[in-house]
Amino acid sequence: MPASRFTQTGNYRTKYQQDQTIFATYSEQISLIVLIGLLLLLPLILPKTMLRDVNMIMIYSVAVIGLNITTGYTGLINIGQAAFMGVGAYATALAATRLNLPFFLAIPIGGLAGALVGTFVGLPSLRLKYLYLAVATLAFQIIFEWGVGHTPLLAQGGAISLPQVQVFGVKATFFNHNFVWYYLILPVLVVMGLLWRNVLRTKHGRSLIAVRDNDRAAAAMGINPGTAKIMAFMIGSFYAGIAGGLFAYFQKAVVIEDYGLHISIQLLAMAIVGGLGSLPGSFLGPLFIVVLDRVVGGTSNWIGSQNLFPAGVDAATALRPLSFGLAIVLFLMFEPRGLANWWRLSRLYFKKWPYKF
Amino acid sequence: MNKTLMLSALVSLSFAAAQKTVTLPWSGAITGPTSDAGASYAAGVEDYCKYANAQKMLPGITLNCVTRDDQYNNANTQRNFEDFVANLNAPVFLGYATGGALQLKSVIQETKIPTLTASYHIGIIDAPDNTYTFLPVSSYSENIVALLEYIAKKERGAKVALIVNPSPFGRDPVVDARKAATRLGLKITDVQEVGGNNLDNTALLKRLESQGAKYIINQNTAGPVANILKDAKRLNLLGKMQFMGAHYTGGEDLTKLAGDAAKDFIWATSYYLYDEGTQPGIILAKKIGAQFKRGADTIRSVHYTSGMLASAIAIEAMKRAGANPDAAGVYKGLISMNGSKSFNPGFAVGPVTFSAKDHIGAESLRLLQANATGNFKPITGAQRSALFQLVHPVK
Repeated sequence: MPASRFTQTGNYRTKYQQDQTIFATYSEQISLIVLIGLLLLLPLILPKTMLRDVNMIMIYSVAVIGLNITTGYTGLINIGQAAFMGVGAYATALAATRLNLPFFLAIPIGGLAGALVGTFVGLPSLRLKYLYLAVATLAFQIIFEWGVGHTPLLAQGGAISLPQVQVFGVKATFFNHNFVWYYLILPVLVVMGLLWRNVLRTKHGRSLIAVRDNDRAAAAMGINPGTAKIMAFMIGSFYAGIAGGLFAYFQKAVVIEDYGLHISIQLLAMAIVGGLGSLPGSFLGPLFIVVLDRVVGGTSNWIGSQNLFPAGVDAATALRPLSFGLAIVLFLMFEPRGLANWWRLSRLYFKKWPYKF
Repeated sequence: MNKTLMLSALVSLSFAAAQKTVTLPWSGAITGPTSDAGASYAAGVEDYCKYANAQKMLPGITLNCVTRDDQYNNANTQRNFEDFVANLNAPVFLGYATGGALQLKSVIQETKIPTLTASYHIGIIDAPDNTYTFLPVSSYSENIVALLEYIAKKERGAKVALIVNPSPFGRDPVVDARKAATRLGLKITDVQEVGGNNLDNTALLKRLESQGAKYIINQNTAGPVANILKDAKRLNLLGKMQFMGAHYTGGEDLTKLAGDAAKDFIWATSYYLYDEGTQPGIILAKKIGAQFKRGADTIRSVHYTSGMLASAIAIEAMKRAGANPDAAGVYKGLISMNGSKSFNPGFAVGPVTFSAKDHIGAESLRLLQANATGNFKPITGAQRSALFQLVHPVK
């Protein structure tokens, strides 16, 4: 029985080319178009402060896709993704302020700078694995923070303000900032997501997964694991650099505090909670963590105002790291495949509906 | 009876309608990093604001006192700022962290919202984008230059080391300190960066000792400084080295953490302290703290007084703006605070003066030294650093 191009209740693929399609059915294509259509309408209904959170989620999603490329798809632990974001942010800021480049050129320059530095930082991955590589990326995070802090060109970590952007005659001012940037970040996110889906179906993308699963077996099949690992770092850092450039413009100024170790940990948490090695997980992880942050923030305020604990016991402050830590531990224990697995299961349920799952 | 009720309801309604509500917002770290200072600061801002309402300081205006936690996260600070200005129409903004304030400068310039911060980083009021940013008291840089002047008076040619926080907050005064030291004939032997995870400072202190540094100036928060002092005591260096620090290094926060190791620590600050019970500002702070049932630790904290000063300056500026305190009016109110119109609520050791060019409020500061009981006692009167304006002219 030939597979329907509209729906598929099972796997009817008979050729490798069918495995490599981005969209298996028309319904997948249509649902993505509908989703993007709905997302385009979102700013019209969301309050301004919530729109800011959505923008943050989208920027973090770009960075988490990058982290997923190195850690999720290639299996190289990276604890320095915020530093790669920072490289992109500072490169973007310099391109915008020193070279007076427009944002649509400055941000890709940030991506390229991230990729360049990422390639260099990825070199130890030729020799190091697992925790040792994690320490190497952690070292880069520390070196980055120290380097920026001691470079007068980068304001020693102080603020480098970015110029306001203008798109099709509309200038991003204080009052429409979130609105304008929503419509700039969303296409970038969609393009970056599709780009990765495209890369993943090429031999280069599949080689990353092969190296993750067993690098010796991959080498036996003719894949150069070293090249694959360096490429993973390069692409992952490119994504981080783009995210950094977007974040720099979105925050209106670059300051070192936005690219510290805690942000790297947060990005890693987003990737784990979302589901390592999953594109939908790269969107769901940031969504979960940002929403959790808002909920915990509100709860912290409430606890702080109630004086429930004796003086000296700052339970409100403890709540945030506690909740984040707990979320990561619970996901690792009970759902190591992250929210992406829930997404997969719910899709599967509706795919076979009304038949029993 | 019914007519009387209706009439009184109408009168009440018209009175309520005549009362205008203006938001006085603060965003800072009530939880998270530096919340030990931020929580007390927030309490000071909020309590003085409520006190102003109770005292009807602004005729016809009720203040909406909003203190919101940003968890020391710049993105949250921006989020709060957007909400305050775009949704609550706040005519003024009270900020907290250095990074958040630096990042907001271009937005503050664009929105023309006068801003007072709890960070006394001189870069906040340096050009560019500095028209609407103000420091309530003297900057960290001025604190440190004043300490260097004190050292030069005691011992010309002395060797001085700086220990600073590894952040813009910590590093910024180093340039001015170097310039001032050169002019004063002092030698800066080393600049070391120490963050909040300095559990063992033996190597650091031995290094400074080997360089012959006699005066150690800290630009940090109280926690790391307390750890350094405890290690210095363990290494028997307290008699050989004189430890000093800028505003956020000292006060009860330090003596609580460092115990008797804090003895003789010299602290530069512009604020009066809780123990100076005869000062009008401290009397008022105690009264307001008791009125709003704050804990003893909060009221004793210098950050409670600091929050009150920021709140008081903003409210005074609104008062000077008249019946319609918008951002432009508040700005005019702020820059009118000079000469005979300077503002002195009594929380700081000198009056608050601002002008279009002068964006530092209470410029006077004192040096205080911790005694054996953990109390800081003044060792100088209220003064301005003579050298600071030379090493850091208004930009």
